[in-house]
Formats: sequence, C-alpha cells, structure tokens
Amino acid sequence: MKESQQNTTDFGYKTVAREEKASMVADVFHSVAAKYDIMNDLMSFGIHRLWKRQAIACSGVRKGHTVLDLAGGTGDLTAKFSQLVGDTGRVILGDINDSMLKVGRDKLRDLGLVSNIEYVQMNAEALPFPDNSIDVITIAFGLRNVTDKDAALRSMYRILKPGGRLLILEFSKTDSEALSKIYDFYSFNLLPTMGKLVANDSESYRYLAESIRMHPDQETLKGMMETAGFEQTSYQNMTGGIVALHRGFKY
Amino acid sequence: MINTLLTATAEHILNTILSLEPSVQASLSKVQHQVLAVEVRDWQQTIAVTFTGHSFMVFNNYQEHIDCHISASIDTLSQLKDPSQLTRLIRQGELDLEGNLHLAQAYSQIFSELDIDWAEHLSKYVGDGPAQLLVQQLRQAKQRTKQLDGVLKTTTAGLFQDELKVAIHPLEMAQFKAHTRELKQHAAVLEQRINQLLAR
Repeated sequence: MKESQQNTTDFGYKTVAREEKASMVADVFHSVAAKYDIMNDLMSFGIHRLWKRQAIACSGVRKGHTVLDLAGGTGDLTAKFSQLVGDTGRVILGDINDSMLKVGRDKLRDLGLVSNIEYVQMNAEALPFPDNSIDVITIAFGLRNVTDKDAALRSMYRILKPGGRLLILEFSKTDSEALSKIYDFYSFNLLPTMGKLVANDSESYRYLAESIRMHPDQETLKGMMETAGFEQTSYQNMTGGIVALHRGFKY
Repeated sequence: MINTLLTATAEHILNTILSLEPSVQASLSKVQHQVLAVEVRDWQQTIAVTFTGHSFMVFNNYQEHIDCHISASIDTLSQLKDPSQLTRLIRQGELDLEGNLHLAQAYSQIFSELDIDWAEHLSKYVGDGPAQLLVQQLRQAKQRTKQLDGVLKTTTAGLFQDELKVAIHPLEMAQFKAHTRELKQHAAVLEQRINQLLAR
C-alpha cells in the first residue's frame, strides 16, 4: 500500500502514476498556451494582474539582481523584473513546457524586452543552476503542477544565494464559507464552459479547478517551505484566500 | 486589493505622461532604479515609485530598501510641484524627508516642468489645423470658465451677505472668533478663581 502511494500522485482529482503527471500537465499547457493570457484575464476578471503586482512589490528585486521566474509561462512577471534588474542584472524565464516558453518569448520580444532575459526549459525538481547563484526565485501559479513539490522546494533552496528569497504565488484555501461556495460553483460550472467557448478545451480547465483543490493549504505549504530549509517564512492571503503569496528566505 | 488597483492606475497615468512628454525620461536618467517612497498622512498609505529607464513602476505595501522617504499630507504634497518649496516645507515641519534629497527634487522638478504639447499629440488623429484650433479653443474656454467662476463667486457672496442676509462677511466671522476666544479666556480665568476659592 505504502509503495503504491509513493508511486502515484494526484492529477486534479484523479490518481496517476508519478512518471505520468509531468507529461499530462504538459499536455494541458500545450493545449492552452496560445490562449493562456486571454483566458487568465477572462477567468480572473483581470485580478491576476493585481496578484502579480503584489508579488513584485514583495520580491525586493533591484538593479543587478539575478532573478529566476520559474514556471514563468507567458512572462508576465519576467517583463516587470527585466526592467527592475536593468542592464547589469538578468532574468531567467524557466518553464517545463516549451509551448509556453515560445509564447512567452514572442510576447516579451514584442514588448522590446530582449537584452537581459534568458529562456530555459527546466524541471523545477532539478534546477540546472549552481548552488548559491540566484537572488530571487518566483513561482506564480506553477507549484501545484509540480509532481514532487518537496524536491522542487529543496532544489530552489539550493540555488538561492544566502540572503535570497523565494516567492510562491498560488491558489489556496479561502476561510469564508460563502465565498468558498461561490468560488466552487464558478470553478466547476462556469470555468470549464468558458474554457470550452474560448480555448475549445473544457478538460484542461476542469483540471485547473481540481488541481487548485488538491494543492496544500497556506499553513501546509509554509511548513513544507520550512522543511526545505527556508527561514522567516510567511504568507499573505489575497482576495479572501483564493490566492496566497508565500515568502521565505535563505540565510 | 483596492490600493493595488489604485497604484496600478497611478502607474498607468505616469507611463502615459512619459509617452506624451519624452523629456521626462532624460530628466530622470540620473535617478534611474532609485526608489522614492511617499507616505500620504491623510490616507496612512505609503506609495513607492521607481523609474526603470523605460517606464515607471508604482507599488503600495512596499517593504524593501528605499532611497528617499517623504511623509506629508496631501495638501503639502500638492505644493511640491514647485521644487523651491521643498526646503521651506521641511523647515516648517510639514514634510519629513529621509534619504536622498536629490531624488525628491528630481521628481518634483519633472512635475513643475511638465508641459505636454497636446496639439502635437492630437494632430496625429485630426490633423495639424483642427488640433491647434481645438487646443486653442479649450485654453480660451478654460480661461473664460475661470473668469466666470470668479464673477459667480463674488455675486453669490454679495447676494447672501448683503441682500438676503443669510451669510456673514468674513470680517464679521473673524470678529466673532476673536470675541469667542476672549470669552474662553475669561471663562478659564473665572474657572481658575473658583477653583482657588474652593481650595481654601
């Protein structure tokens, strides 16, 4: 029984073999990459931009920093970080999915942001960087898709410079019962329909809603960060806890 | 979230100004990547602004390293459009400033020198002639509204004070205030005397 638990993981509400999750998540994002930005705006009524702004305000990114925007997708955070780090810094947009990276690269090039951005396809569980080499790591709406979250957090801790910080922006659990009911109705009824109409793909958006429910809550994630070695960990809830921003430091 | 939305709007406005008046970019080139935090005392909010060389970024709830911190009420902040007022306001204690003074002066200066050529920007859409005419008409209309506003204020004040006698003249108000102050002082003296008598 124990062995079977170790060999399987969640994929939304389904249980799948661990080695299958990455490719199944990849399929979801290959499918939604082209319409990713427009769907983000539609699904969150544009509020995702405010969540990301808050993450940038808490990131402490300054001129000359090296920033890793993990699971950076279509590069919303990278675009801002690229300006904040200036010519002497660099931003690495990392994603496991090449479709998302391509969409991100095209978008950032169209914005004229080219000089200090690198695009690297990578797995968050085994980050291809030397120890103590990154100032700030952000992972926005990406951690819940990672198969082994503990390994990913350990890997992030390893590559952070002493004094560096990790920011995790992710869907979480809301305290309000009324909000929770509205949110559930919206996620399981309206969201897949919107996905069907705009991106012609209701299954991917059903996975999105399910994966959010399977993701660890605020306190659990904070504990996981501490187990990985992070110090001064804290989180702030946004929009009633629908989204939480976790922050941890390496000393 | 509302505050984040407001700062996002402020950022959008600043970046629009930047696109309309490219000289701002040159004026701020020396203070690129430095963070100016403005604490608005009336709202108990701190807003941080930084210029990255291409655009402005505005944050609320900013807890990181700040190069210059200004704390003042909204009335005082509006006076900062004139950079020469900065030192006077600090001396009078209406404004607290910590950090790099040049950063505050640089931002103050760009707003005092802001002179957007509206006709130039409008001409892209409607052509040179109509754009110039429109801007001229708007300027005249603004001037006329100002004049009209002055006349209206004087007439209304005259009507209420002299004709209808429902409002008092500012001088009467000042006299009333002086009387009230005097009365307050008398009352305080009397109170002190009563207390002394009671204490015996």
